[in-house]
Amino acid sequence: MDTEDSITKLLRLKRYEHPPEEYFENFLAEFQVRQRAEVIHRPFLSIAWDRFSSIFVMPPVPRLVMASSFAVAVLTSVFVLDWSDEETNPNSPRTSLNLAAADPVTIDSRQNDTKPAKPLSTVHYVLPARPATYASARSF
Amino acid sequence: MEALDPSDQDLVNRTKAGDARAFDELVVRFSPRLYGLVYHMTASHEDTNDLLQDIFSKAYRSIKGFQGKSSFYTWMHTIAVNMAINFLKKRNRRRTMSLDDVDSGILNDPDFIEATSNGDPSHEANLGELQKKLNESLLKLSHEHRAVVTMFDIQGMPHAEIAKILKISEGTVRSRLFYAHRQLQNYLQEFIKK
Repeated sequence: MDTEDSITKLLRLKRYEHPPEEYFENFLAEFQVRQRAEVIHRPFLSIAWDRFSSIFVMPPVPRLVMASSFAVAVLTSVFVLDWSDEETNPNSPRTSLNLAAADPVTIDSRQNDTKPAKPLSTVHYVLPARPATYASARSF
Repeated sequence: MEALDPSDQDLVNRTKAGDARAFDELVVRFSPRLYGLVYHMTASHEDTNDLLQDIFSKAYRSIKGFQGKSSFYTWMHTIAVNMAINFLKKRNRRRTMSLDDVDSGILNDPDFIEATSNGDPSHEANLGELQKKLNESLLKLSHEHRAVVTMFDIQGMPHAEIAKILKISEGTVRSRLFYAHRQLQNYLQEFIKK
């Protein structure tokens, strides 16, 4: 315990080490100059962000609440965007998936329809090999 | 009528509201104490000056995030110790000491007389030697041990306050001190009274 005490007493002598008297007066002036320089040389994006965030002056809110409300806002906007996309675009993947999932049409069900079924084959137009004309053919 | 000095918290609130002069007042208040903390950890006046500027800049930038869960004193010391330890990790083995002058008052300090009166009666001759030896010994400790020794032995902070600043238990503070003292005992053998 004596040795411990002696070490503490020795180390306490380090309190006598001081910077020059005028050091602390100059320190504040140096700090102010440096702060101003920092403000001038700050990147544009950092200044812009500060100005943007100062628009929204909010009361102090716990970080967890801030984070969870931000997460809810993001999820809601993703859901709304996804839903509106589905509504406006018929070729969206979800729509085609629904069509594919519909019941297959059988022959029986087509026969029971009241309306006549359309022919399945497509119409073909065949052009004659010779051009059609109303003029009489002349031969000598 | 005597004007009362504003409390640290008042100055913090004014700084948050955009009053830069309030922060200047905090710089004036805290710079001597934080200078001591950083200087005794780095053993270099130049490094301490640079670090102290960085510490106050950081404090100014993040003061809006200070919620008052701890005192401003503890908050500032936490920033200072963490930044000093990070700096020392980067500085690694570059151990150039640039020591401050020793106040002449030390020559009348009984602890100094006791430590240096073993053989040579000329205390002034031993002063430089003791200062060099103390600083070299401290630099041999790990950064974490040096921080605890600086705050407890040199600055006279209580264990509980050190524990808050370093965010460790009081038991850990005590065990770090015990281990550091054992190491210092070897390095400072010649100055310890038998």
